[in-house]
Amino acid sequence: MRIRSCSAIPVLLCLWGFLLVSSLFAPAAVAAAATPDLLLEDEYGYDYADGQGADEIADPLEPWNRVVFVFNDKLYFWVLKPVKNVYAEALPYDIRGCIGNFVNNLASPIVLVNTLLQGRFSDAWTVVSRFGINTVLGVYGFGDPAASEFAMPPPAADFGQTLGRYGAGAGIYFYWPVFGPSNVRDTVGRVADYAANPVNYLGLNSDEALGYSGTAFINRMSIAPDVYEETIKYSLDPYVAIRQAYHEYRNARIQRGGTEGNE
Amino acid sequence: MKIRTVVLLFLLSVFVCPVVDAVESPTAQLKPTLKSLTDLLADERLKGDAHRDERRAKIMKAIKVGFDFEEMSKRILGRTWQEISTEEREYFTHQMIKLLENIYVGKLESYSGQQIDFLEERVKDKRAQVTTTIDNEGVKVPVHYILNLDDSRWMVYDINIEGVSLVGNYREQFKSILRTDKFSGLIKVIEEKNRSFEKGQASL
Repeated sequence: MRIRSCSAIPVLLCLWGFLLVSSLFAPAAVAAAATPDLLLEDEYGYDYADGQGADEIADPLEPWNRVVFVFNDKLYFWVLKPVKNVYAEALPYDIRGCIGNFVNNLASPIVLVNTLLQGRFSDAWTVVSRFGINTVLGVYGFGDPAASEFAMPPPAADFGQTLGRYGAGAGIYFYWPVFGPSNVRDTVGRVADYAANPVNYLGLNSDEALGYSGTAFINRMSIAPDVYEETIKYSLDPYVAIRQAYHEYRNARIQRGGTEGNE
Repeated sequence: MKIRTVVLLFLLSVFVCPVVDAVESPTAQLKPTLKSLTDLLADERLKGDAHRDERRAKIMKAIKVGFDFEEMSKRILGRTWQEISTEEREYFTHQMIKLLENIYVGKLESYSGQQIDFLEERVKDKRAQVTTTIDNEGVKVPVHYILNLDDSRWMVYDINIEGVSLVGNYREQFKSILRTDKFSGLIKVIEEKNRSFEKGQASL
């Protein structure tokens, strides 16, 4: 593979050095990830009035979104889940974990850019270190010795989160076919992250690219816990449950930057 | 010598008195509740479907020490609580406790010995937030417990996992159902859900 990695190495080394130095001077960025104060807004106050101040999720497309929701539900139970089960039968958990590591390792430049844009320098440093360690010691990123041996769990960062941290609002809610819950901000973020993925610049043809994305998608499904099925099982109105959970989850990610607990 | 004793006594009084006077901290009260739950879940003798009912009964007994399901139900229903009759309130609470039991215990049962760390607590008047993390294969998932001081007991009325509030989530679902189906419709949906859990129980 003729990747541009040769010219990327000095750039990465410079970045590494820069981050090493800057991480020494950037304790402020770390301190920002304190635990959120959930007592601030007692929207469920003692009169049990509906929280007027609580932010409502703008969902003018709800009727359409609910149609897509039903479609995705069928897609999940009739297509994706059977495929996932066959895939999970064929490959042992460890191997699927390795494939997941490889995909994540290749995507780490995206995480790096987003952590830098968000001013999370110690996380950026972690991303670079992890990429170095896992690519070399983890055999092209199939293993994750950075997490298992060096206690460096992967930081998460995406462009939707970056936009949110710069003050962009969520915009209206979307429930996309296949991909599920999103909003204007996170859709823009997703498209940008996808376009920036180094895999797109490896010179794969469209079939190979689709194969890669498809495998990555099914593989992720096969190692992630069944959040979707759980939600369906425990909800009275699953559409609203997922919309609300997505909204709060994303807000929490934007507020705390995704580093809590791994200072 | 005497002065030293006086100083010592003074210091002792400063350090000891607030501890004696005050209610135990929310964290101090929550810890044993969670401990008893994780112990029950780890208990080999209670594992498997054969012991399901016994396990559930024991878990429910342990939960009720530190979790206030009635408070949760009220907060989930919101303003409608003021608009319904006493009988309706009683029936609603009864059904809700069943529902929350199914939901919460069901979720608890996926626990498999992950480490729980207590990070921080915040107290504001009669409410408190205890922040914990649960270690899920190296990734620390933040779980916040929101508590209410009931007499001298701190009782949990909401659980917030990764920013997602349990009460808030059901509250929004209820709002949406109430908008179209009113209170009577909501009760039907809850009854239906509870029945589906019982059926699931029978088939296991």
